[in-house]
Amino acid sequence: MKAREGSDQDTVDKWEVQLRKGCLELAILAALWDGKLYGLEILRRLESDSDLIVSEGTVYPLLSRLKALGLVRSEWVESDAGHPRKYYALTPAGRQRSREMTAMWSRFSASMSRLLAPLTKEK
Amino acid sequence: MTTAGNAQRKMEAYLGRLRQLLRGMNPEDAREVIEELRSHIREKAFAGGECTTAGVDAALTALGTPEDLASQYTTDDLLARAEVSRSPVRILQSLFRWASLSVGGFVVLLTSIIGYFLGGALTWCAVLKVIHPRTAGLWVFPNGADTEISLRLGFGSPPAGGRELLGWWIVPAGLVVGCGMVILTTRLALWCARQYRKSLALPRV
Repeated sequence: MKAREGSDQDTVDKWEVQLRKGCLELAILAALWDGKLYGLEILRRLESDSDLIVSEGTVYPLLSRLKALGLVRSEWVESDAGHPRKYYALTPAGRQRSREMTAMWSRFSASMSRLLAPLTKEK
Repeated sequence: MTTAGNAQRKMEAYLGRLRQLLRGMNPEDAREVIEELRSHIREKAFAGGECTTAGVDAALTALGTPEDLASQYTTDDLLARAEVSRSPVRILQSLFRWASLSVGGFVVLLTSIIGYFLGGALTWCAVLKVIHPRTAGLWVFPNGADTEISLRLGFGSPPAGGRELLGWWIVPAGLVVGCGMVILTTRLALWCARQYRKSLALPRV
């Protein structure tokens, strides 16, 4: 019985990981909406403004992929810290993609909230 | 050696290993990756005002091993390029890289090699049947209880003791089945690569 409960928990954990994974690209694009940020600032923004627990080793390759897709651009900027920082900013295609993903997210979220309303009332 | 020297040495050892592992990438992109991560590690390790070995250790642990990090960059880069080009040569190059990183990649590589080999052989057999009508084709050789089936491309003398199957039908059948196998293998390899790329983007909770 305990093994079954453990397996159910694993399934829920995997589902949660998949859910977070699906949001990560939009979360990074959203973090860049107001202006350019460098990698560590993006990570801090995701930590402070969302429940996404993101591995640092995941965000940098993903930023590289978003750049290859033309959704973000990057530039090196000298800093007071004594080393240059690589800043990322949304390209026009990235802004367009962010808007589309946000609209999709809002529709999806609203319909799921309607569906889940009876379950949340039960609590 | 000073603490700062130790910390610097640890960081450079990590980045040196990563640089080695990123050899499959465009050199300019690989250089940018290394510089960006150097900047990240310095920023984190210097957060307390001075660079400590513990600070560098914490920054490196949070990034993951150079192997994990490199596999996300290079495999993603190669598989992304393979998806765009759809060339079997580019796809196989990417799969060789993926196979060196995981058992799953090895299985997909093996399946793809078999698929491309059989598809290519059937297509060539169909084409060469027109040039070598008497010898190219699908041949069966009765050998006691065993029966040997051979796909011949038509080079050399006509096979003795064998009987040809299909005849001229090998031309349309070979072209349709051979090209179909190449297309299906490409689609299967790209589908597997896409699934793998999706799994790489998983945040580790």
